[in-house]
Amino acid sequence: MNTTSRNSEDSGIEARLAARLAGTLTQATQNLPHDVSERLRVARQQALARAREVRLAVPAATTVAGVSAAGALTVSGFWPRWQRAASLLPLVLLLFGLIAIDQWMTREQVLTAAEIDAQLLSDDLPPAAYTDPGFAEYLRGSPPP
Amino acid sequence: MATDKELSDFLKSVEKRAFKRAVYAVRSDDAALDIVQDAMIRLAEKYADRPAAELPLVFQRILSNATMDWFRREKVRSAVVQNLSEFDSGGEDGDFDLLETLHALEDTMGTESASDAVSRTQILRLIDAEVEQLPTRQREAFLLRYWEEFDVAETAGVMGCSEGSVKTHCSRAVHALAKALKIKGITL
Repeated sequence: MNTTSRNSEDSGIEARLAARLAGTLTQATQNLPHDVSERLRVARQQALARAREVRLAVPAATTVAGVSAAGALTVSGFWPRWQRAASLLPLVLLLFGLIAIDQWMTREQVLTAAEIDAQLLSDDLPPAAYTDPGFAEYLRGSPPP
Repeated sequence: MATDKELSDFLKSVEKRAFKRAVYAVRSDDAALDIVQDAMIRLAEKYADRPAAELPLVFQRILSNATMDWFRREKVRSAVVQNLSEFDSGGEDGDFDLLETLHALEDTMGTESASDAVSRTQILRLIDAEVEQLPTRQREAFLLRYWEEFDVAETAGVMGCSEGSVKTHCSRAVHALAKALKIKGITL
């Protein structure tokens, strides 16, 4: 019990002395050289300017988000729907063009095959002759016209 | 969120003490000014949206980190570690009386007269030098606890140690200062 009260008394004295010393230090800081005070003032102003920039940057980002949100809203409106359809028009045209080319090429192939067939059928030589090995040997052996 | 004025007032109230804390640590006015400026800018960039009441603790932590960064940059971390271990060397106070020093200090500082102005300046300089001579952790604990007026838990939070360590550091710092001042004839 006696020890406890002694300890608390010591810590009280310690705290009072510490407070006095701290007060002395505070007095000492009041007499800082002018250039040090000035540099501290400039540093403070720079920090405040930076804080303002940071604060302004946050609402600016919000505003940009708001604009894009508004933009998204207008895209889903009446006029923009036509604009979106118009933007798809080249794609549709390209698709139709590819289909037309495919149809044209198929038709060309059919016409070419039909022409060959017509020539074979209208020729004096029967088509079965081309499968005869003797006739094939005759063609290889005969001189070109 | 702290307003511009609150932030400005806070920085104004703390800048000189922050400068002295940094000077005690790095022992160079220019380096200390850079550290304080760095700490202020870090506070403004990352913590300006915090309530004004949180700024003191956050700033002291930033200042400590900025000081450590300076030491890292200067590649004298080994010197810091050496300083950190210095607090182990204290402890034997002999029969010196803390209360006696307190009374002498209060008598001298409390009854200041114009004729004492020169000796007062000398005393301030002397105490300043003695604080600078304290081991790093003791000095940090003493300054945060009694100069910045943080409580033990807050000081422990800033220093990253236990509350018991803070009490020990503070006690040793006060005893070391009182002893040093007594040796120098203070009577202050």
